[in-house]
Amino acid sequence: MERVLTRNIHKENSQSIGVYLAGGGYEGLRKAVTSMTPAEVVDAVKKSGLRGRGGAGFPTGLKWSFMPQEKTKKHYLLCNADESEPGTFKDRLLMEQDPHMTLEGCMIGAYAMQADACYIYIRGEFVFGARMLDEAVAEAYAKGYAGKNVCGTGWNCDLVVHRGAGAYICGEETALMTSLEGERGNPRVKPPFPAQFGVWGMPTTINNVETLACVPDIIVRGPEWFAGIGTDERNTGSKLYCLSGHIQRPGVYEAPMGLPLKELINDLGGGMLHPDRPLKACIPGGSSVPVLRAEECDCNLDFDSLAALKTGLGSAGIMVMDTSTCMVKALQRISHFYAHESCGQCTPCREGCGWMERILLRIEEGRGLQQDIDLLKNIADNIEGRTICALGDAAAWPVQSFVTKFRDEFQAHIDEKRCTVQGATYA
Amino acid sequence: MPKVTIDGVEIEVQPGTTVLQAALSRGREVPHYCYHPGLSIAGNCRMCLVEVEKAPKLMIACQTQVADGMVVNTRNERVEQAQSSVMEFLLINHPLDCPICDQAGECRLQEYAVEHGTGVSRHDVGKVAQSKAVDIGPHITLDQERCIQCSRCVRFCNEVTGTGELDFFQRGDRTKIGLYPGKSLDNLYSGNVADICPVGALTVKEFRFATRVWYLKNTPSVCAGCSKGCNVMVAVGRKQELMTSPGQMDDGIKRIVPRVNEDVNGHWICDEGRLSYLKLESAERLPYAQDGDGVELDWEVATLLAVQSMQTAAATGRLGIIASPRATNETLYALKKLVDGIGGARIGTHRNHRGEDDNLLIRADKGANAAGAATILGTEDAVAVTLAARNGELDTLVVMGDSLDPADTIDLHGAAEDVGQLIFVGPFVDVASKAAHLRLPASAWAEEDGTMVNCDGRIQLVRRCHRPRGEGRPGWLVFQDLMRAAGVESSAWSEWGEVYDAMRDDLDAFGGTSSAAIGLLGLSTGTPAAAGA
Repeated sequence: MERVLTRNIHKENSQSIGVYLAGGGYEGLRKAVTSMTPAEVVDAVKKSGLRGRGGAGFPTGLKWSFMPQEKTKKHYLLCNADESEPGTFKDRLLMEQDPHMTLEGCMIGAYAMQADACYIYIRGEFVFGARMLDEAVAEAYAKGYAGKNVCGTGWNCDLVVHRGAGAYICGEETALMTSLEGERGNPRVKPPFPAQFGVWGMPTTINNVETLACVPDIIVRGPEWFAGIGTDERNTGSKLYCLSGHIQRPGVYEAPMGLPLKELINDLGGGMLHPDRPLKACIPGGSSVPVLRAEECDCNLDFDSLAALKTGLGSAGIMVMDTSTCMVKALQRISHFYAHESCGQCTPCREGCGWMERILLRIEEGRGLQQDIDLLKNIADNIEGRTICALGDAAAWPVQSFVTKFRDEFQAHIDEKRCTVQGATYA
Repeated sequence: MPKVTIDGVEIEVQPGTTVLQAALSRGREVPHYCYHPGLSIAGNCRMCLVEVEKAPKLMIACQTQVADGMVVNTRNERVEQAQSSVMEFLLINHPLDCPICDQAGECRLQEYAVEHGTGVSRHDVGKVAQSKAVDIGPHITLDQERCIQCSRCVRFCNEVTGTGELDFFQRGDRTKIGLYPGKSLDNLYSGNVADICPVGALTVKEFRFATRVWYLKNTPSVCAGCSKGCNVMVAVGRKQELMTSPGQMDDGIKRIVPRVNEDVNGHWICDEGRLSYLKLESAERLPYAQDGDGVELDWEVATLLAVQSMQTAAATGRLGIIASPRATNETLYALKKLVDGIGGARIGTHRNHRGEDDNLLIRADKGANAAGAATILGTEDAVAVTLAARNGELDTLVVMGDSLDPADTIDLHGAAEDVGQLIFVGPFVDVASKAAHLRLPASAWAEEDGTMVNCDGRIQLVRRCHRPRGEGRPGWLVFQDLMRAAGVESSAWSEWGEVYDAMRDDLDAFGGTSSAAIGLLGLSTGTPAAAGA
């Protein structure tokens, strides 16, 4: 299939504005600001069926339309480049290899919502990506694609790269705003929603990097073209999949929305890492979404197909596990991550994540008690849906799904006081 | 106005009311930790989760605004399960050290654990250790293990004092409250963080290990620290083992905490007012009526001696009076009646100013009843009376001592040498009583009932919280006894309300009020008294 988002990344000097312009870059921005009204841009994105690529899959055009029509205050667009979900590394590729595509998307989005500035909040560890973005922003300013008088239209919009300081929670949209304001990056209680009361109290929209990178081509080639790619009208467009785990060729793959998971593993990914170790489980959307058993993996990678399996496409971080994987150890590692990254603000997540991790560590180390499996499930149930932000859910879902779908393995761990998985290797 | 149904009962509330406020307004307790009516809404404790019909998830009552037709369940099975689970989460890393915790007995964690907890712990994998007894300011100690991260103290320092000393540090279950580097929790209102702390994490050093709260007798009163007149609750210790002298009824004031009055102090008091009882408790008291050499005098004899001296001086226009701006209206009115009865005197009120007004509660005028004194006695400054004494214009000078802090009694700068007789009326051994030739003990603040007028013209009740020490009696009783000794016509007042109502009948400024109408939240006279400025 045709590569859209990754069409430039293998070119020499793919980060430079020259290469980007030669490939038709900034035509979308020019078209939007010179021949379309902001409302028409929002409409086009609505028609394209584009859904947010950050994890929740919320329709982007609809989100944009939540911004006040009458502008009474400053408007802001925030580009969420705090990509930190374990197993996810697609935004990093875009920013490091083709930053202008993201910048162009930012500027089109900013125009559609009449934003006064767009902040790109990039994960602190992405040093190279931040440098590429900084250089690209300077080039965009120099060529008149950002700043004052964009494309000669008299419209002004600043573009600012802001580096985070290394907290997973700052990728949560309200925590990102708090962090950008210079405060401790705690999520905020909603409502009020960002479109009414966002960063510095101004109407704000937050979009993921890949989401915004999709926008230039929607404007240039039309929403119908974008909507024509993918499974159906609710799952459209070209998509980046992050493939990792026990796989021959891990990496980022671009394919239409709805790519069959087996095709990603066996064709694009070159099959399982070891021919004698078949697929055991797969996490399809970053570490927070419920795990799939091997027999559930004959599915398509899109929002609705995976929702039907009670999991999610999330950030499209597909983690493949073969039969040598100890599910107790895997879950313990995941839970450690969430316990470490919980902001500590609200009670169920702050206390529950650490509690689950300590129980999992106990099982993993052969000290598990018979009641631990039910206890884990119960703690996760008590966290889910009762926290300020989605981190609580993200910590609960893996626990619920692992202990339910692989209960025997947890039970064996407790009974045998050791790992019973053949050939389990610990990194 | 929106109508909301809470647990089957439909009520009408103002738009913008939250579910929690609506429930509380009809006496329905929804458990909560982080919500505090004087602070912004944080929504982080998750204790107030309630079921709102048609909402898929449980909602936090503190932040959810009512909408017309909303149906809320605050105690069905689903809600109770959620509250019980939050309670469990709050306790897993809590040290459960109630036996040595000052908060025990008035701890929300204890109360809700009984009400909403399961009574057993499923947590057996080791608690997160944090620091104990961290010294974070001159008056506040922090126990990071007891903290439930409700953020009330952080919000207080950010929103009320604007000093921002505190914040959260670390993440997850290692999260702890702490000071910003180089900061100390030394703002003038720091004690409030201990009041609003729903658990025993923040404690006032002066109250730490002082007593158990169930030994305290609380009396609603008004702080006499300055002219703001913040409403307070005065707690007197009643632990038998601490009552060391025979006949002692209590072991003194143990603490003062704010009492909510939105028209005066809101939810807060300053540290100086909070700790004003320390000076009171530690001051040397005048035990009985004495002459200038400290020889005990019979009360009848003492009053007779005082009156003779005053009458003689008054007859020649050479009597001077220095009134205390911390005396109650009743005391000052009785003084006025006495002076009027014996032929008049030069009366001045001590002007006790220190520092500056701040934009919260602290007033430079430390005379808690300066406004009342100006209304009853007029606005002459005590300095003028002192000068008259120094110039040899007075034979007898009556000085009222301060009733809260001996250091606040007026310094006469040797004027005692220039008058024939200096008569002292007050509770303490202080600079004026030492110089006096005759000393009449009166009760201190918190030992007598009465009223004061604050800087905004609000008449408020000051309450007797415990028995006066020694022979000290309310100032109006002292002056009534002097009136009797002088043969001046007087009513037989037996309690403060009679004095107040007599004053009301006599003075226009108190017209339309009555002792019975003042109540615990005071009575606004509508006009801020210009006096005492």
